[in-house]
This record gives sequence, C-alpha cells and structure tokens, in this order.
Amino acid sequence: MATVRMSFSHLAKLIVLASLLATTGCGRGHKFWTNWWTPGDTVEDVGYHPEQPIDFPHDKHAARGVPCQYCHSSARRSAVAGIPPLNTCLGCHQYVRTEKDPIKFITAKWKANEPMRWTKVHDMPDFVRFSHRPHVQKGVACAECHGEVEKMGTVQQVKSLQMGWCIECHMANKAPIQCVTCHY
Amino acid sequence: MTSLDSDLRGLEDNREVFVAHDQPFEKPAKEFVPGPFFVSIEEAMPDLAEESFAEDSSGEKKLAVDRRDLMRLFGAGALLASAACVRRPVEHAVPYVIQPADAILGIPTYFASTIDRVGVVVKTREGRPVFIEGNPEHPLSQGSASIQGMSELQALYHPERPTTPRIRFGDRLVDASWEDVHSSLADVLKDSKKVGFLIKGTTGSSIQFYKDFLKQIGQSEDGVYLLETNTLFNSMAEAHRLAFGVDGIPRSDLRRSKLLIGVGTDFQDGGIASIFETKSWSASYSFRNGVKGRFVTFENRMTQTGSKAAERFVIAPGDELGVTLAVVEALLAQGGSKGSASDKAHIKAVVDSQKALIDSTKTRLKLDDVIAKLASEAVKGGAVLLAGESSASTQNGTLVQVAAIMANVLLGAYESSLLFFSQGWFKNPSRPGDITRFIKDAAAIDTLFVVDVNPTFVLPASFGLDAAFKGIKHVVSMNAMPNETDMYASHILNTHNPLESWGDEELVAGFWSIQQPTVRSITNSCQAQDVMLWVAAKLGKPMGFEDYRAYLRKQWQVLYKASGITKDFDTFFMAIQRKGFYVSQLTKRENVTNFADVSAIFKPVAIGEGFKLVAYLDSKLGDGSHSERPVLQEAGDALTTIAWDTWVAINPLKCRELGIKYNDLIRIKSPAGTIEVSCYPMPGLHFDTIAIPRGNGHKNGMLKISEGVGVDPLTLLEAVTDPLTGDPITAGQIVTIEKVGKRYRLAAMQKHNDIANRKDIMPVQTLSGAVKTMREFKNLDDVPDLYPSHSLRPEDTASGKDKRGSSWLFPMWKASDTYRWGMSIDLDRCNGCGACNVACTLENNIAHVGREQILIGREMTWIRIDRYFSGDVNNPEVAFQPVPCQHCNHAPCEAVCPVFATTHDEEGMNVQTYNRCIGTRYCGNACPYKVRRFNWFTYKWGVMGDRPVDRNPRALNPDVTVRTRGVMEKCTFCVQRIRDAKHNSKQQGRAIVDGEIRTACQTACPTDAITFGNLLDPNSRITRNRRDNRSYLLLNGDASKHEYGLKTLPNVNYLMKVRHDGSQGVAANEPPAGMEHP
Repeated sequence: MATVRMSFSHLAKLIVLASLLATTGCGRGHKFWTNWWTPGDTVEDVGYHPEQPIDFPHDKHAARGVPCQYCHSSARRSAVAGIPPLNTCLGCHQYVRTEKDPIKFITAKWKANEPMRWTKVHDMPDFVRFSHRPHVQKGVACAECHGEVEKMGTVQQVKSLQMGWCIECHMANKAPIQCVTCHY
Repeated sequence: MTSLDSDLRGLEDNREVFVAHDQPFEKPAKEFVPGPFFVSIEEAMPDLAEESFAEDSSGEKKLAVDRRDLMRLFGAGALLASAACVRRPVEHAVPYVIQPADAILGIPTYFASTIDRVGVVVKTREGRPVFIEGNPEHPLSQGSASIQGMSELQALYHPERPTTPRIRFGDRLVDASWEDVHSSLADVLKDSKKVGFLIKGTTGSSIQFYKDFLKQIGQSEDGVYLLETNTLFNSMAEAHRLAFGVDGIPRSDLRRSKLLIGVGTDFQDGGIASIFETKSWSASYSFRNGVKGRFVTFENRMTQTGSKAAERFVIAPGDELGVTLAVVEALLAQGGSKGSASDKAHIKAVVDSQKALIDSTKTRLKLDDVIAKLASEAVKGGAVLLAGESSASTQNGTLVQVAAIMANVLLGAYESSLLFFSQGWFKNPSRPGDITRFIKDAAAIDTLFVVDVNPTFVLPASFGLDAAFKGIKHVVSMNAMPNETDMYASHILNTHNPLESWGDEELVAGFWSIQQPTVRSITNSCQAQDVMLWVAAKLGKPMGFEDYRAYLRKQWQVLYKASGITKDFDTFFMAIQRKGFYVSQLTKRENVTNFADVSAIFKPVAIGEGFKLVAYLDSKLGDGSHSERPVLQEAGDALTTIAWDTWVAINPLKCRELGIKYNDLIRIKSPAGTIEVSCYPMPGLHFDTIAIPRGNGHKNGMLKISEGVGVDPLTLLEAVTDPLTGDPITAGQIVTIEKVGKRYRLAAMQKHNDIANRKDIMPVQTLSGAVKTMREFKNLDDVPDLYPSHSLRPEDTASGKDKRGSSWLFPMWKASDTYRWGMSIDLDRCNGCGACNVACTLENNIAHVGREQILIGREMTWIRIDRYFSGDVNNPEVAFQPVPCQHCNHAPCEAVCPVFATTHDEEGMNVQTYNRCIGTRYCGNACPYKVRRFNWFTYKWGVMGDRPVDRNPRALNPDVTVRTRGVMEKCTFCVQRIRDAKHNSKQQGRAIVDGEIRTACQTACPTDAITFGNLLDPNSRITRNRRDNRSYLLLNGDASKHEYGLKTLPNVNYLMKVRHDGSQGVAANEPPAGMEHP
C-alpha cells in the first residue's frame, strides 16, 4: 500500500472539512464518525415519519374517544408512556373489526406469542432522561409535545424536541431548567 | 504508557518540593492534626521503595502505533468521515405480548430473596435484575447486602456463562440438549454402585433434597458431603459441642458489650454473619452519644476488623491458642470472674496442663502486663471474647475456640446473653469432618455430582483431589460458571444463578429465609435440583415433584402447619415470598451452662519455627468462587488497595533485613509447591508471617476474565487438617522465601489521586476530647465571603439585601429553599470494606478498566477509599476515608469548565452534563479532592483489554447514562434516586422526607457510616451530623479557629475518627442523662 504522505496543510484542510461536516451534518439525524453526539445530530427531526409494521391509525382510535392513557397507561406513573402490549389491542379486537388485515396480522402475532417491533418516532438521545410522569401529573396535554395525534393516521414527529424547545416551555411554566433536570 | 508512568514517578520523587510549595491557601490547622500519615511504605521507609522501572520496560507493551502513524490514521479517519456519514441508529420499541398484570413499564419491581446468607431485595426492571440491596426487614441484613451478594448481578449476565450443557465423549466435549443430559445421567446412575453429592455448605432444604434423591434411587443417604471453605463454622460448632454438648453457633450481640477482645477475629472481613455482626459492632464500638466500646485484638495479619481496634497486638499464626489461654489464666486469677465452681475447676485443669505454652507465649510476645490489665478491665462486665476465622484456620483452630469459650464463661458472656444460645442461634452451614470423609470415600464413589462448588480450586491440591477425581468414573459438574472441576467432569451442566433459582436457608434456628427466582433463565440453564428430578423420573423412580419449587413448598408445609396460621397455604407461601423470610416460634432452649471437662481433647499441636504462611479468604473474592466478577477484582483490597492481583504481604522490617523492596517478585517454597508473587511490605504484620490472599490464580482456559490474574497460595499448603474438624489448615504452615530478582508491579491504588500530601485530611479526636465537646455544635457553613451560599446569615440580611442563593461567579444561580443535598461519612465507623464502591459501580454503570489501566491511574470508581497508616510501621494505626465527589458549594471544577459541562445545581449538587463535556479535563485538574474520572476509552463494548467484562446492556441500570470516551464523570449523589423520590413526592403533594432517599453506597454500608439527606431540613439526620462537633470538611481547615483551608465548602462532611486515649470517657459510666445507650 502506498504511503499516504501528509503535510500540515493537508491535515488542516481535513480537519476543517471534518468539522464543517460535523456542524452541518448531512441531513436528518446523521452522525459523525465518533461516538460523540455532535451538533450534526441536533438538526430538527420534525416530520420524521418512519414506516411501522402496521399503519396504526391513531385518528380512528382517539377520535372515537379512546383516551390516550387507555393504552399508554404508564405515562402518568412512569418515565415511559409505554407502548401497549398486544393483549391490550386484543382486548377489543378479538371482537371488533376482526376481518381487517392489520387486525388479522396482530392476532396472528398474539397467537404466536411474538411481540410487535415498532419504530420509535419520538426518540430522545440516550443522554436525556425525560420522564412522562411529572408532565402528565402537572397536566401538560399530550398534544403539547406529540401534536394532534388524534388527527394523524400514522404518527409523525411535529415538535422539534430540541433542548431549546424544552427550555422555552420550562421557563414559561417556571419548571426547573437546570442541566441535571434532564442530564445525568 | 511507560513515559507517562515515569513522569508520575518523577513527581513522587520530588515530593519534598511539592509539599514546600503547596501552600497557596490559608495556613493549615496544625493543632488539628494527630500526626503524619503514610499511605504507602515508601513514605515511612524510603529504602523499600521499588527501583525505577525504566530498565524494566522491555516487558511492557509498547504503543503499537507511533505518533506519525497515528496522525496518518487520524487523517484517514477524517477522510472516511467525509466519505460517509453514519445514520443515527433507528430505535425500536418492543412491547410485551402479554404484559404481567402488576408490571408498569419503567417502574421497578422488587423481589425479596436470599443471597450469600443475607436477605436481599432484588430490583428488577422489565423483568431483569438491575440492583441488589439488603432487605431492611431481614435481621441478618438490616438493609445491607454483602459485597459478594451485590456482585451476583455480574455473574448472572456474565458474558462467559455457558449457554448449553455439555457431555464428554472420549476427549471431546459435545453440546447436548437437556433431554440428552437427563437420559445420559439416568444411564450413568443405573450402573452406579455409589453415588455422591458434593455441595456447597448450606442450612437449607437442599441437603434433605439430595438425601431424598439418593434414597429414591436406592443409594445411601450418607453420600451428601458439604464443602464450606470458611473454617470458622466448623471449629465454632465443634468447640461448642465439646464444651457444652450443644449443636450450633452462638449468636453474638455486640450492641450491649463494652469491651471486645478479639483473637484473630475478622467478622468484618467475612465470617459467620458478617453484616449482622458488623452492624452490631458499629452500634457500640463507634462513637455515639459519648459512648464508644473498646476493642482490643490479637491477630496474625492485618484484617479490616483488626484495623478498627483501639489496641491491636501482633502475633504469629499459631500463637492464638497461647494468647487465648493466657487471657483465660488471667481471668481465673481475677476475683470477679464469673462461672460456676465446676466450670472453673474444668477450666483450671486445662490451664494448668497448658502452663508451659501460656508462659512461653506471654514471654515471647511480651504480653504479660497487657493481658493482666485486660483481664482486670474485662471482669468489670460487658466484655466478650471472639476468636475469628483467621485463628480458626490455624492448626489448633478448634482448641482456640474452646479456649475462647472458657474465657467467655469466665466473662459471663453466656450468662449476660452477649453470646446467645437460648434463642436464635446460628445454624452451621458446614459439617465437621465432611471434607476428610469425602476424600476417604472418593475411591468408592463412581458417580459424583458437584453442585455449586469448585473443590479443585478451593481445597489445596495436596489433599489428592486430582487423583480422587480421576478415580471417579463420572463426575457431574453443576455450576453456573465454568471452573476447574469441569476438567474431570463427564457432564458439565450449566445451572442457575442464585437470581434464577429457588432455595431456602435456615440461617438461624427457627428463622427461614427464602430464595426465589427474579428472572427467567437468561442462558439455557437449569436448576440443579430440577435436573435431579428429571433424572429420577427417567430412571423410573420419580420423586413426585414437578420442580424444586414444589419440593420446597412441601418442606414449607411443615412450617405452615406448625405456625397455626388459619389462612390457606398458598396465602402463607405468597406472604413469605413477599417478605423474604419467616420466623416461626424461635426455637427456645436453656442457655448453655456447665462447661465440660475438655482436658482430654486439649492436646495442642506444637508450632514450628520459621516463616509462617497465612493464606486467607479475601474479603471480596472469598475462596475464589467469585473471581469471575470484575467489580470484585477492581474494587481492590481494603488495606493494600491492590486490584486484579495476588500479593504477598511481608513485614517492612523483615523486607529491609532480607533486602526485599516493594514490588519485588518473591519465590515462596514449601514441601508442597512453589509460587512466585510480588511483595507488598505490609505494616502491622508479624515479623515471621507472610500473608497471601486467596481467590485468584485460576487455571488457564477456564475463564478469560480471571485468566492470568494472580497466583493461588493453596499450592503451598500441605495436606494438614484440624484434627477436631477435618478442615484444611491454611495458616501457620512453614515456608521459605527468596528473591527471584525480578519485579512485577502490583496495581495498588492508594497513591493515585493523592491529595498532595496535605496534613489536615484526617483529623482524629481523642475519646475524652470528643466526650467533652459533644454538646458543642459546629456551623461548618459559616464561611465568610463565600458564594454560592445556601445559608441565611445575619450580615447578609443586615446589609438590607438577602444574599442567600446568590453567587458572584454565576449570577443566574439561585438556591433552592427546599432542598440542599448533603452526605455525611462517619470515619469512626468506616472499616474500608469497599461495599460502597461495589454498590456504586453496579448502580451507576461504572466501567471496569483492568490492571494495566489501573497501573497508570485510570481507575473509574466514583467513591475511592483512602487508607492512611500512622505511627509505628510495625503496628500502625489505620484510618479509612471514603472519598466521593465532595459536591463543593464553591467548586473549583465549575469555574474552569470552558463549556459549562459541570455546573452547580440549585440544590447544592455539583453536576456533570455528559453531553456537554468535551473532555478538556480542566475540572479534573482543578479538583483538589481528585474525585473526577475521565473516560479514556469507550468501555461499553464488553471487553476490557482482552478480557470480556460485564457490560451487557441488560445488566446496566437503565436510569443512568452510559458514558463514552472523552467524557468526565463523577459521583452524582445517585441523582436518579433523588429524581425518582422527587417525582413520587410531587405526585403525592408533599416534600421528600428524611431517609426516603438512600444512595447506593449508603444502602450497602454495613457499618451505617454513610448518611444522606436534606441539609435544609433542620431535623434531618444529615443536619445533625453536620452540626456534630466531630464534623469537618475535607481540606477546609477548622472553622472554629477561623481557618477555612480551601474554602470549597463541600456538601459532604466527615465525622472524625475517635481514638481511645486511656480515658474511659462516658463508656465506663452510664450514658449522660436523657440519652439511651444505643
């Protein structure tokens, strides 16, 4: 292999290039090659709309008066809102709309004791320790952060979920804004 | 590596210069200081310092890439980065199919269980155990789990845990299904004439289970052998059987004693019920309300227990009997000694027959006056004599216990119930004579099941186990982890970890604790008893139980019927599972009386002359069955602070005489074998003793994690047993030593993170001084001109402006008026055991770095335990000081961070924001306490150097961020627990109450040295501790003399160690009016 000879100026150019890449990123949610979370990652994820195993229609459920916490029952008690287990779905769908393809699909999964594998839409970085509980307890509406899910078919991200966005709301509501509130 | 290392070394050489110039702050408080400390032997005896390692570098690995190449690689990396961005990982959410009815995602579930003979509570998240702490209601744990018990998590998720059972065909090991194993074992048992079970010592139902199994398949029930490496159980039980004809071990209650005489006692290092005894010790032998019991000990090596003694006398292994008998003789001579006339006559007969031994011991050790004085003090009442494992492992071990009983009879310890036998005595998990019986029977056994023990490693090779095992046709090794016994096994079966198993223990007579699974089998393992049930069924002789749980339920039916509970059995058993233990009517009987005439058996073996070896059970690794757990290896020994290694401790003066220096490799020879091990000159060791910890030195090819770590001192031991119990003798055998002429560095951590030789680190109060000032309170927070300040002071309000919560440095900072978190550490209680360190590591996902990284000072522990010696190198005073982040109110680290990654919390905490940190390490340099840790690598990928470690994502605490390379980290006061408590209290519309938050270190501390709480709550325990007159802040001078040292004003305060000064303090009198004796 040929030896790569490098002068100082080459190196400087490379570093400049690399840092440019790091600051601009190359599109949504892309990551520089280190393990660090670089500024490239913090581009807004608004509009993130990943494909899911089934097109779960939040609109059809929420609009018919199923409260959010009927399925996401741990939101008021725990850090995570909790994606419901299949037996929650089958609680109704053993009897309701059993002829539909997605229902057949989840029924088959349920019978085979196979879990669903959803893709997270609202995904916080691992260094953020967000907890649903205090927010729900304080009465923050789900829609404040998740948008009008009852009008969405499949869920997409509508709020930025960036730190500045969090802080704005926290300041307006006199909630704590220390680093350790979310980062530890 | 080498260059950095020698740089560090250079600094140490210029220590004098360092000290002279290192006084930039206010003058140190001189009269506050008890005397000079030394942290390693080089400081006390410079001639023992290891020679420079420059010449030795050939052996060390060089960096594979030189600087130029590194730059090229770096450039190539940048190119790569420009070529392709890596997408942020898409995360998935996989919910349950059927969620358990009581499970809430993100909320832990707790299980009561029993691990390592201690009742524990296992915290599980989404079905996975993530932390183990003591069951606060369990009397033997009182809220603290043992070190080994906590580390069970790492064994559960161990990356090297086998995933399938294996059967040996010729010289091939073949993976098998459990079905195959059952049929194969059934075939084996069909043709077996004698079947044996060699199982780990236990007090539970499993002994009866194996007996039932043997009976079911038509074998003799004698085939169950118990193997317990702690020889104290057998020698205490046997001694009490000889002396009183009772079965069991007395429960000692130190809480009501005033004087504890120890002969090789080491209950804080291990022993009968370490946590229980340590808790009761710390209640009355640490300073509290003007009371502090006196603890005097005679021991052959420096133990953690002995290091806490008021007076410690150094003896050689083998002298224990002479010393104990000398105490007995002196007590007999005292008028006030207790015991009936016949007791005294029996005792006198023994003492008279051993006159020569007593006299020679006293003269040789010059203990005449000491023992006479001790006896006169002891007969005043409240005294007890305990002889521990380090005396029980000598050849006269059981006789020492008999002599201890004689002393206790004369002291009235049984009468006054300092030693309990009437109710709730300890059951012996071991059985005298089982080891010798097994070795004798081995030739006749043709199928042997080895369950949860590793006899090949924990017994000396000289016992002929190699031949014995080779002679057994089928050895079935049933262990959770691979071990040395597998070499002989025809079937290697991977069994459940205790966290996956059913089981029970009758630790105290009439007191049952239950062990229950907290997780489904993680690997494809099986509970040992379940295998036997299946095999019995295959043989056509089913035992009638579908699993071991069913068998246990049958056993517990007996307790249920005796209990008279009117609810049905299922309710009863469910209640037991919730609580973790069951106290039936504690079996009562008369306390022991009538000391028997033991002179017939009192035939001590004479001690040889020469260098005596002590191969002791390491307080963390034990006998080596736990050495696969990196957290135990990395925590380091309490007294030497050495991690990941075996060392030989030699008296420093002996080292000087022999020309041995620190880290010199020593060859130790005995008729049984030879080992080479590095020397640690250990202050406070007898001149003719060398001490080597057990636990390491596993054979290669077993586990990568412990491969090549340390050496096994059992190689040196000859097959000598205690004639009364048949347990192997591990202390007092004669060896010779010589220099190899090479050096091998021990990874000792004490000199790392050195607080620059300041002298006001460890002030000590005398007992009389502490008693005199115990009513005077301190205000440590009253430091002039110091902001941020949480306190409201007259001069602030006088100026018309409330300056509370202000800071000139960070104007936006505003103090909370509800909470200010603080921690208090009582140095009079701390025994340096390291449980806090282990708990912290497991709770906070702290990385393990291994020996090589520790050698260059990169250990990651958030709470390090400093050990200071002072005084005579031959018998120094020892002090321990756990140092977590001090959470300074005026923190030097906060001011220097260029990116505000470390900031001050409104609630007084100094917090680190990992995602902000860019790794300048300014904060680490600014920190005067050296408690910040830098991630030199991303340690999370499951390997440490070439060793796999437990960084299995399932084992991590999901509430704590895993840090990556280039990030600084430090103690967070377990902020995740604070956060959790806050959410709870807010939801319930109240403030956090005192004691609601317990940090991980606090839960683990067996001496209750650590207190955590809210400093703004005037009634909290932490506030009282901070006001205490013994309270001081590290490197912050003495506020009462207007000396403020560094003025960092930490939220962590220490309570001074209290030294006995000859005065009795309040201890000899009644406690002050209005105060109850603890």
